[in-house]
Amino acid sequence: MPTSATASSSYRRATPDLLVRLGSTDTEVKLRALREVKNQIIGNRTKKLSFLKLGAVPAVADALAQAQAQAQAQDQAELLVQSAAVLGSFACGFDAGVRAVLDAGAFPNLINLLSYPDEKVVDAGARSLRMIYQSKLAPKYDFLKEKSLGFLLSLLNSKNETVTGLGASIIIHSCETVAEQNALCHPGVLKKLNSLLEGSSSQKDASLESLATIIKNNPEAASKFVSECGRALSSVIDLTKDRYPRTRLLACICLIVIRNTSPCYLQDIGIKTKLVHLLLELLDDPGQLGEDSPFALSSLIAQKEDLQRLAFEANAIDKLYNHLQKDSLHPRRFQGILLVLADLCSKLESCRSRFLSLEMLDLVTHALTHDNADVRAAACICLKSVSRSIKTLSAGRFMNEMIVTQLVQLLHDPSTSVQVAALGAVSNIVVDFATHKSLIVKCGGLKVLVQLSKSMDATLRLNALWALKNLMFLADNVCKEGILLELTIPLLSSLICDPEPSVQEQALALVRNLVDGCINSVEYVFAEDGILLDAIGRQLRSASKAEIGIQGMYVLGNIASGNEFHKEAVMHQLLPQVNDGDRSFILKFLQNNDSQLRTAAIWTIINLTFPSSPGASSRVVKLRNADIVSQLKTMAKDPCVDVQLRVRTALGQL
Amino acid sequence: MSLFWIVIRQLAEIEAMATSKKVITKEEWEKKLNDVKIRKEDMNKLVMNFLVTEGYVDAAEKFRMESGTEPDIDLATITDRMAVKKAVQCGNVEDAIEKVNDLNPEILDTNPQLFFHLQQQRLIELIRNGKVEEALEFAQEELAPRGEENQSFLEELEKTVALLAFEDVSNCPVGELLDISQRLKTASEVNAAILTSQSHEKDPKLPSLLKMLIWAQNQLDEKAAYPRINDLSTATLEDPAI
Repeated sequence: MPTSATASSSYRRATPDLLVRLGSTDTEVKLRALREVKNQIIGNRTKKLSFLKLGAVPAVADALAQAQAQAQAQDQAELLVQSAAVLGSFACGFDAGVRAVLDAGAFPNLINLLSYPDEKVVDAGARSLRMIYQSKLAPKYDFLKEKSLGFLLSLLNSKNETVTGLGASIIIHSCETVAEQNALCHPGVLKKLNSLLEGSSSQKDASLESLATIIKNNPEAASKFVSECGRALSSVIDLTKDRYPRTRLLACICLIVIRNTSPCYLQDIGIKTKLVHLLLELLDDPGQLGEDSPFALSSLIAQKEDLQRLAFEANAIDKLYNHLQKDSLHPRRFQGILLVLADLCSKLESCRSRFLSLEMLDLVTHALTHDNADVRAAACICLKSVSRSIKTLSAGRFMNEMIVTQLVQLLHDPSTSVQVAALGAVSNIVVDFATHKSLIVKCGGLKVLVQLSKSMDATLRLNALWALKNLMFLADNVCKEGILLELTIPLLSSLICDPEPSVQEQALALVRNLVDGCINSVEYVFAEDGILLDAIGRQLRSASKAEIGIQGMYVLGNIASGNEFHKEAVMHQLLPQVNDGDRSFILKFLQNNDSQLRTAAIWTIINLTFPSSPGASSRVVKLRNADIVSQLKTMAKDPCVDVQLRVRTALGQL
Repeated sequence: MSLFWIVIRQLAEIEAMATSKKVITKEEWEKKLNDVKIRKEDMNKLVMNFLVTEGYVDAAEKFRMESGTEPDIDLATITDRMAVKKAVQCGNVEDAIEKVNDLNPEILDTNPQLFFHLQQQRLIELIRNGKVEEALEFAQEELAPRGEENQSFLEELEKTVALLAFEDVSNCPVGELLDISQRLKTASEVNAAILTSQSHEKDPKLPSLLKMLIWAQNQLDEKAAYPRINDLSTATLEDPAI
């Protein structure tokens, strides 16, 4: 092959000379410089960055502003088009570029281009603005301001497809609150979006995405769209059969949003099955669609057992398994698939056993060490779901060293969402009926859990306590002591009084599990001057929600099952000596709407008045004086059968 | 499309009738065909769709005047699209890139694979013209960063650069990259991307209709002997072989 020594400079690097040419007064020179930048940076991230560093963005923004300031001569149009195109390319898929364009003050000038008579100028302006609106950094459009809806409508009603697309991008980017959604439920907007469903493929996509944004979690918007737009819903359903897969996916997402917002729509089995099959099919797409479709599928089936069953019958687990087998799986796709698996295994035992029989546990365990935090978190969520199976849990399938060590490792993860997800999985796995709790302690898990229960982040505290509570569940004395030693009674008391009610509830539940079982366990709450019991009493007197009362009353009930000393201590909490007109909290609990709380309160009374204990009769007198007995008598016909039964037992002892 | 459904319906009817192969004579068949009404406008639309998609702008213009069929796209954009396609086919890739960017700057900004293939084609042309140093510099400056972003691009890049290692490129394992077919491949990829950006389907309908015809005939062969179309260019009905 002949060689040549001519090194050409056809692919120049960013040079300072370019800035001079961009600022030139000679239109020809300026235009050539703009085109040069454009052709260099389009499709090329590296070049965008180097031109950005050189300061090209403000120079181009100036060129745009100057061209606008001058009379609308023929050659100015080309300058406008080229400078808008360059700014748009800087903003395309490149957040640093978006910021630079906004900082250079080009945004209002690009908006101005939309009202030019020259169609090419309008098109270039709209295209660049659309690029900006695809970034999170784009300025939020205020739909609630007067006249702003008029401008948006003028965009949507434009004959120019790029301009209509811009209108949709603005909706997708800026519509967040319910008030904004309601403002966009303007008949003009909905009608236009509905008519775009019959437009070109890019208009269909833009409309579907906008509609989903306007309807999401807003039942009023959903019913407006369905009722006011004629056969709107069936148009969207039709688009699930569109020839373009992207349109099919967006139509599915739109339908899922409508369904999740207003469960009264799209209830027939045909459409549900169709959505499941479509999304499973779209999973095969090698690109972006294949990454998005599992997230759509997850939102379709999450928390819905009927849909999970449909997906299971559509062989979803096997299909997902096949995808997981591929190497170099894109992280987002990987994450999505794990989340769908988590949803599938969250309720149905059939899904869990299929999951386990395909030996997917190894795959998911492996994902716990993935480079990507989202994948690690999703793997934890998946493990949490699968380990809800009591059958496999008691078979000790999750108690292999590999899973436990890695989960404990993840409790140290730099990402909070991974930590929370790992805590969720640990919580389920430590509810183990065999002797395997020690494994988690051996791996250093206990220390980390206690550490996390002191975190500044309330979600971490909550989930760490949840895991500790489950670890405490049916644990033997050695294990209980170990946990308490690490956790310490002062820390536990302060967690009972945590500012976050959900943390209080878990702390009380932990104590409930601590004092459960043999009588020695009850002694723990009396250690260190009984600060634990005092904290519980304090929290019950000010209980902000029924759940806290329930856990607290079960603690007292468990203590009241102990010896005379224990029972008297509970009485002391229930009926403080000096009655300053305040009703005892147990009376309030007996009258509470929550039947579980009523039950828990009665249990405590039953344990306190158990006839064979010596002090029972004196306690009955005290309870009678505190109006508790008369309250019980009114409850003989309680609407809850469980409560009725306990009331009968209690009254029999009084 | 209606033609296709008619064949399918016939197929279903025949299937319902008998297990032994039914023989349909040419007369019967033609009679049935005559009963099928196809609107001339639909046929014209099919032809126009073919001319537009394939980029025969002059023919499309003539056809529009003669038949009154309106194309579903601005005919001027076809000229632009064809200019891009032609530039790639001639190896003027840089020129083609500039033309695409003039047409719609979004196409190459949002289509990394196409952008890479065009840049790769540019590299191939440099190598073809023996500009080794320039080729190396270009590969380093322009293509290597894309390879870092995407594993499959990197593999393709390595394959392309390998061209430089062979004395006789026409006879090397990656020689097909220098073949004219590589240019055509890249050209049709650009063509398809431009069509998609104009909300137009990237393939004409006619060829897929013919594919359906062949499929339907193959299905029918198992059930019946009938006047088959063997030569698609003349569409002559052959006498059924018995």
